[in-house]
This record gives sequence, structure tokens and C-alpha cells, in this order.
Amino acid sequence: MKIKAKFKGDHIKVKAMAKHAMLTYDQAKRKTGDSNDANFITHITASVNDEIVFEASTSQFLSKNPIFKFKFKGANKGDVLTMTWIDRKGNTKTSQTKIK
Amino acid sequence: MQRRKFLNLGALVGLSTLLSSSLHAVNFRQSRPEAWTAHTVDDAIAKLYPNQVIHEGGVELSVPKIATNGGSVPVNVSSSLEAKSIALFQDTNPEAAVIALSIHKNSIIDYDFKLKLKSDGSTPIKITAVLEDLNGALHISSKELIVPSGTCDG
Repeated sequence: MKIKAKFKGDHIKVKAMAKHAMLTYDQAKRKTGDSNDANFITHITASVNDEIVFEASTSQFLSKNPIFKFKFKGANKGDVLTMTWIDRKGNTKTSQTKIK
Repeated sequence: MQRRKFLNLGALVGLSTLLSSSLHAVNFRQSRPEAWTAHTVDDAIAKLYPNQVIHEGGVELSVPKIATNGGSVPVNVSSSLEAKSIALFQDTNPEAAVIALSIHKNSIIDYDFKLKLKSDGSTPIKITAVLEDLNGALHISSKELIVPSGTCDG
């Protein structure tokens, strides 16, 4: 996952891109003949210092390689932002970045 | 032996970190699975937020009037209200729910996402944002857009 987290004085601004095909049920059916091959991110979180700052339950209708832009308070430059996603097939990915 | 103790301690710390950070997590796909298979926006809202009063406004939604790429339509949702959660729906893809966000203590309600929207090229597509405030009341706002060419197959 590519993550940029910038300290903006009173908040932190984050832009993150998860590398994922986000294959819908219709696309999977056309591609493999089985809609059950659909696979997309279903849940994604971001946390700093053990506090969740972003949390989304997601569907097949986010774009391929979805981008998440969000803001939060309560952290400083140098703190580590950890983002984790899980997809429909149970694959999971965790990435970290320091707030700049 | 000391190495083994160290590794065990590491595993315990890792597990407790995972547990503490997941304590307040809300996965709407698990708590409200029926909302994600609903085909209409009204049905999806009713299943995600059962028996809740709906007010117009209170949540800002920004979408382009004409989107050039149905596979990646930018949507911004923001609000100054204090909220428990916020969700986005659309009326063109097979199921209506797109994303549901849990709002945490340090969250700022100002999010940008890119949506995949199926289009016939001319019918306006309606995007709906629903915010659940701290009292459980719902605030709703919607915007229409057109995706001229059928660039996405949903």
C-alpha cells in the first residue's frame, strides 16, 4: 500500500492507495465464469498509537487500486500510521508510514 | 531458553496490540450483512440503519456533474456534525451500498474516494450520503451525475 501522511498543523492529511483489482461479482463471472471468484477489499483501518483514526467497510464498487483520502487529529510528526486491509478471500496487507 | 521467552513475550505484545486496536472496530459487513446485498438505496439504508429518523442535509456531498471515467468517479463527503458513522450509496450498480465508515474520536469527517459506476451513458446516477449522528438520527444528502461513456461494467 502506498501511503502519504502529512502533518498540517492541527490535523494530519492522508492519501493512501491500496493495490487491489477490486474484482466485482459481474466482472468475475465474465472473466472466470464463476461470480464467486469476485474479490475486493472488505474492511480497511488506519491507526496511530493504538487508536483507530480511519475505518471503512467497503464493497466491490470502489475503483481498482482504490484511493482513500482522509484527515484526523491527535497525532504528531514522526508518529507511525499503520494501515491494514482485508479482502473477501481473507488476504490481508499491512503497511506503515511515518507522519511527515 | 531466554530467546524462547523473548519470542513468547513478543508474540504476547503483538497479540495485545492487535486486540486493543481492534476493540473499537466496527465492521458493517459483519454486523449488517443484509445491507450489502440490498439492490435499492432505500432498502440498503433501511438495512444498515434500521428504524432511524431521517433528516435532509447536515452532510455535504461533492461529485462531478459529468464524470469522464465510470471506473473511477471522485466523490467527497464531509460534515461538521459529530457522528458515529457515514455511508455512501448509489443507484446504478447491482447493489446499492458502496462504503460505510465508522467515525472515531480523532476522525475528521472529510473523505475522498473513487467509485466504480455502471452507466448506460445518459441516465443520471444518484449518489447518496447518509450520516448517523451521535443521537442515532440520520442526515441525508444526494447528488446526481452523468457518466457519458459506458466505461465501467460495475
